[in-house]
Amino acid sequence: MQRYALNILFPVAAVVLVVLAQVGWLDRYVLTVVTFIGINCIFAVSLNVVNGYMGEFSCGHGGFMCVGAYAGSLLSVAFFTDSRLFGASLFPPESAPFLFPLVLVGASLAAALFGLIVALPSFNTRDDYLAIITIAANYIIISVVENIDAIGGPRGFSGMKRAVNAMSDVAELPWMLIWTIVGLFVCVATIRRLMTSTYGKGISAVSQNEVAAEMMGINTNRVKIMAFMVSSGLAGLSGALYAHVYGYVNAQSFNILRSTEGLVMVYLGGMGSTSGVLMAAVAFTLLVELLRFVIPWLNDLLHAASLLPASYELSQIWKWVFIPLLLILLMQFRPEGLLGNRELTQVFPRLKRWITFR
Amino acid sequence: MLRVTNLKAAYGKIEALHGISFHVEKGEIVTLIGANGAGKSTTLKALMRLPPPESAVVTAGDIEFDGVSILGVSAHNVVSDLKMTLVPEGRHIFGNLTVMENLQLAAWSRKDKGAAKDIDRIFDIFPRLAERAKQHSDTLSGGEQQMLAVGRALMTKCSVLLLDEPSMGLAPLIMYDMFRTLKKLNADGLTIVVVEQNARLALEVADRAYVLDTGEIIAEGPAGDLLQKPEIRAAYLGA
Repeated sequence: MQRYALNILFPVAAVVLVVLAQVGWLDRYVLTVVTFIGINCIFAVSLNVVNGYMGEFSCGHGGFMCVGAYAGSLLSVAFFTDSRLFGASLFPPESAPFLFPLVLVGASLAAALFGLIVALPSFNTRDDYLAIITIAANYIIISVVENIDAIGGPRGFSGMKRAVNAMSDVAELPWMLIWTIVGLFVCVATIRRLMTSTYGKGISAVSQNEVAAEMMGINTNRVKIMAFMVSSGLAGLSGALYAHVYGYVNAQSFNILRSTEGLVMVYLGGMGSTSGVLMAAVAFTLLVELLRFVIPWLNDLLHAASLLPASYELSQIWKWVFIPLLLILLMQFRPEGLLGNRELTQVFPRLKRWITFR
Repeated sequence: MLRVTNLKAAYGKIEALHGISFHVEKGEIVTLIGANGAGKSTTLKALMRLPPPESAVVTAGDIEFDGVSILGVSAHNVVSDLKMTLVPEGRHIFGNLTVMENLQLAAWSRKDKGAAKDIDRIFDIFPRLAERAKQHSDTLSGGEQQMLAVGRALMTKCSVLLLDEPSMGLAPLIMYDMFRTLKKLNADGLTIVVVEQNARLALEVADRAYVLDTGEIIAEGPAGDLLQKPEIRAAYLGA
């Protein structure tokens, strides 16, 4: 029984969280932060497949999140709402709570398809070139979305809000928290299954030495493209959840800064360690939220001490000084990240008595 | 079994092989010897059809395997379909996997179910690997890593094994052990092509040899004959 302790703890924690949200003990802000932690976890863990396990360097992960966000939103609108874009709803709005997984799957597939389109030409090149190509892909995706007026262009898109409302009409539950927890579980389970499979060993082999992998009869190009598609597909899942949690999407939310946040979480957690990256995603999201309060406080403090000119206010933009600074300090003092490329159960072997899922 | 005719290969504009021809028959040990930069590794990589930038681009000539040109075959298919593989220079084992996982991974392209049995066979050939089965392979000594590299190649069920500098960085005793093992594998039917800096050792083990010099074959013949030739002794054996 002991071995299942943590396996049971996670669903219990999830249920407690949902119940707390349901009875209103979590205010809207806390609920949003908790949900966003889950989304960041999915985003970071999916990036870790390429940048960690496979040892390549993808810099445009935000682009795939963008594809997922818009694809998910459009599917929601088409499925559950009457709209100018798609006409009458495909399914009755009452079916939204049951058919919403279809939206998530569709969004993931769309993002995986874009992953394939990016991967096909770029894996004939190596190393730095993939980084450059993915940055370019990130920009292309955002520019294309911003230039399609039917989905709001630069104004953003908010039609999926009505699909979320349709779910709440059926039953008053914290739906998006529930779907985020389900999505995170599916994401982590998928990656664990993938990495412990023969295919996953192939990904490790490719990361170590492509020539040697090829000499074992491994089609290294196919392995790399598969891993890239899984990674971008799961990023699409995080995007679809993000869009529905906020009830509004704008392409600029998925620009290079979003991709950078993903990189920070992966390198903070340790490349190739799913548990490390999960911890980093939680810590990082909380840190960013903390800065929301710390920056005004720091501003007051510096003004009180007359260290800042009275005309200058420390704004939230300073977040983008502190986060890169974190990355620099990390590379200086702990380049391998929190856990290195080891899992939590390898760093603390005694944990193995409490968990079967590693 | 393998026939290379007038093979030319280039890295960009620099031609590394200027039209070499040689053949390997079933059950032979053939060695390619020569100085640094003679084109030995380039030849092996060309045989394996490794893509650039790892390998030079074949610009002329042909490589035939059992009478069929393999110029259009990709590297992983050379391994999985033609049953030919390469132990690369510097071994390149998968350090973040255990010894066992390295061996299991090598059965990747095989469709038969005999992998577990073959791992036992590898452990018979290299008992040291059995002791280290659960260890991460980057903790192995140089000699053990070379054993793993050869064992891993055998797990692909290859009938032709190419080795690039198998003696590199090994202590003399371990080096002789390795070549004795290769000889034994050859006696069991494995065709071997070995590229070696240690020409004396290679010539003692091989049936036939080719001497490469700056991208051309300058001598060939039964290994024993080459061992006796004064000019070969002077240039490559330091005698």
